[in-house]
Amino acid sequence: MALRFRTPHIEELPIAQTKQAPGFAWVTVPSAVEKPTADLTNKKRGTRFAAQGQTDEQREAHSVRQQEKINVHIRELNSDNARAGSVIVPKKEDGSAAGRGKTTNTRKILSSMKHFSHYLDDEIAEFGLTGKVDGMDRLTETGLVPAMPMMSTAQRASKTPLVRRVQQEHSNGGSPRPATPIGAPATASQVDDQDDGLDGTAPFPSQADIDALLNAPPLLYNASRSAPPPTSAPPARVFCEICGHWGRVRCLKCGARTCSVDCKTIHVADRCLKFYA
Amino acid sequence: MARQKPQAPPFTSLQSRTLILDNGADTIKAGFSSHLDQDTKSSADACHIIPNSISHSTRDRRTYVASQLRSCLDFGELAFRHPVENGYIVNWESQKAIWEYEFFDDGAKARGLWCEPRETNLILTEQSSAPIAVQRQADEMAIEEFGFGGYARVVGAIGNAYADSAFGNGEGEAGVPAECLLVIDAGYSHTTVTPLLHGRVLQSACRRLDIGGKTLTNQLKDLISTRQFELQKEDWMANQIKQDVCYVSQDFDVDLERVWKGGMTDRRRIDHSIVVDYVLPDYEEIKRGFARPHDPSSAARKRQLGIGMPREDLVVIANERFSVPELLFTPSDIGMQSEGLVGTILQSLNALPVGLWQAFLANVLVVGGTSKLPGFVERLEGDLRSRLSDDIVLRIAHAENPITHAWTGGQRLAHNETALKQIIVTREEYLENGDGWMRRKFLGKTGG
Repeated sequence: MALRFRTPHIEELPIAQTKQAPGFAWVTVPSAVEKPTADLTNKKRGTRFAAQGQTDEQREAHSVRQQEKINVHIRELNSDNARAGSVIVPKKEDGSAAGRGKTTNTRKILSSMKHFSHYLDDEIAEFGLTGKVDGMDRLTETGLVPAMPMMSTAQRASKTPLVRRVQQEHSNGGSPRPATPIGAPATASQVDDQDDGLDGTAPFPSQADIDALLNAPPLLYNASRSAPPPTSAPPARVFCEICGHWGRVRCLKCGARTCSVDCKTIHVADRCLKFYA
Repeated sequence: MARQKPQAPPFTSLQSRTLILDNGADTIKAGFSSHLDQDTKSSADACHIIPNSISHSTRDRRTYVASQLRSCLDFGELAFRHPVENGYIVNWESQKAIWEYEFFDDGAKARGLWCEPRETNLILTEQSSAPIAVQRQADEMAIEEFGFGGYARVVGAIGNAYADSAFGNGEGEAGVPAECLLVIDAGYSHTTVTPLLHGRVLQSACRRLDIGGKTLTNQLKDLISTRQFELQKEDWMANQIKQDVCYVSQDFDVDLERVWKGGMTDRRRIDHSIVVDYVLPDYEEIKRGFARPHDPSSAARKRQLGIGMPREDLVVIANERFSVPELLFTPSDIGMQSEGLVGTILQSLNALPVGLWQAFLANVLVVGGTSKLPGFVERLEGDLRSRLSDDIVLRIAHAENPITHAWTGGQRLAHNETALKQIIVTREEYLENGDGWMRRKFLGKTGG
């Protein structure tokens, strides 16, 4: 049972909608329309998360450090080798040398303990150093196969925090058309929101274009990942920690979101990280 | 086993039988085909679905290799090792053990999948954008270690172009690919969008969303573990729960409101048609979990757990049913900086010339195990339709068997000797020309 301290220090915050209740503040669920609010620069304790501006929900939630935490969480979600170490591959009973690999190469392959992330890092390193992989070109996000190695965009393609990629040209994931684009939308940089560059009369691309498309080298692994949503898209949705509904209430102490005062009570009792104030 | 033949094999001739392995992260779809077959109809019966994992139970200290899992009675705390990560074979030690058990050992004869590698062609699938080291390893293992007589490494999505058309166009000739196909593969590790032109991948427009069946299962595990019942070690159970109760909501906002208990001042009545009681298996009395409609009075029954009634572990699943699959359409819900599936499709199209857009949007094929979630294709169609202008024709087909569809395409491809000759590299050709040549051929760089 968590220790219960006295009611935390209550601050009257100059926010548009405030209820007279201790310990939480209503925040507007981010909408596409940005409402102008007063600049809130109250620097007192406890306002670290409360008053960075209603219009900057995105910035607050996606600070680099928090994004890193989120990325770690996502990587955990996408991993399935957490307990794979306890699984030992059964060896064959005959114990012949054939079990270990017929050639030196295969023996090396069979005993390698590398994970996919190692291969990916190796490939990125090779591409960054030489601009080619296996002697052949590859496509990056920008579509350019760098003529010069050590081009920073190619090297850092995977290291750039994804947050920053929002600013970059991303909506078409690159324009890897080596030949002059025919029939390419003039608004190639236009965001995917309304795909109205289509009409039934767009010309079918020429054979040269088709050949160029077919012969294009494969993308680098990170370049083929789906790009972040454009900045004009609605901000990310936040959910209640306890029950999963919309997260409309924010705990003043730790910034976690819950849906209502009920859930907030549970959160403060069991899950709030700042119970020592 | 001695494999030295007394006479030299004929030069660059195909072996008579082809083993097609759709080597997925969750399951291997495996079966034989032959270009000498008179009957070129595809037959999904020939496809065996093999769990691609080695699992170990600490409770009874048993290890299950691949299809041995079917004989497992106690899935509790089963730890899995998957040789395939993100669609690529990275752990060859376990993959070799699985292949040997399934295809080369004597025990495989009873299951009908036994083959002698030197007399068999192998068609092995991989994902696009594979790191070169991974491809090199697969090539070496197939030819040097297992010694297949012929070998081809293809991007898995290609199989779909050769399968029977899911659009009801009837059966084409075996080995002739569909002209335009936009394949959406909602798989275990991730979801890929791959445009195919005449059965060849348009590399520059491939896109990948890093949310797959594995992500959804882990997310469900997390949610249930933090809210109700510790499931972190129960991969198999969580997977079954996901398959039993999860669905894709057609209107997320509405559904979320329907299962909210309300705030302090704003009490709501939960819509109990969505809420579900899931009885967890304990592998002694209850062998398989099942769901039943939520019984609100079970709050009282919970207090009676262990008293009078047989014990059952109950988990109440409400918004997790649809908020977990919602990740496919809104990955930002967990903070992933990617667009949802619809946005990913549009990104892929944006990388193609406008003149091709209509052709691909009229031929969208959805495959993959995760696409079996109820409501998936409808939601995808609805969302995609709303993002396109009205004069675009959108035609989305869901493969009849989303798991084996690509495999059946490979089977039909292998029925056609010409098509097969184009992709297979025989062992002799490899030994003469080297692995670099072979890799370039698989990429389509060399003629022939």
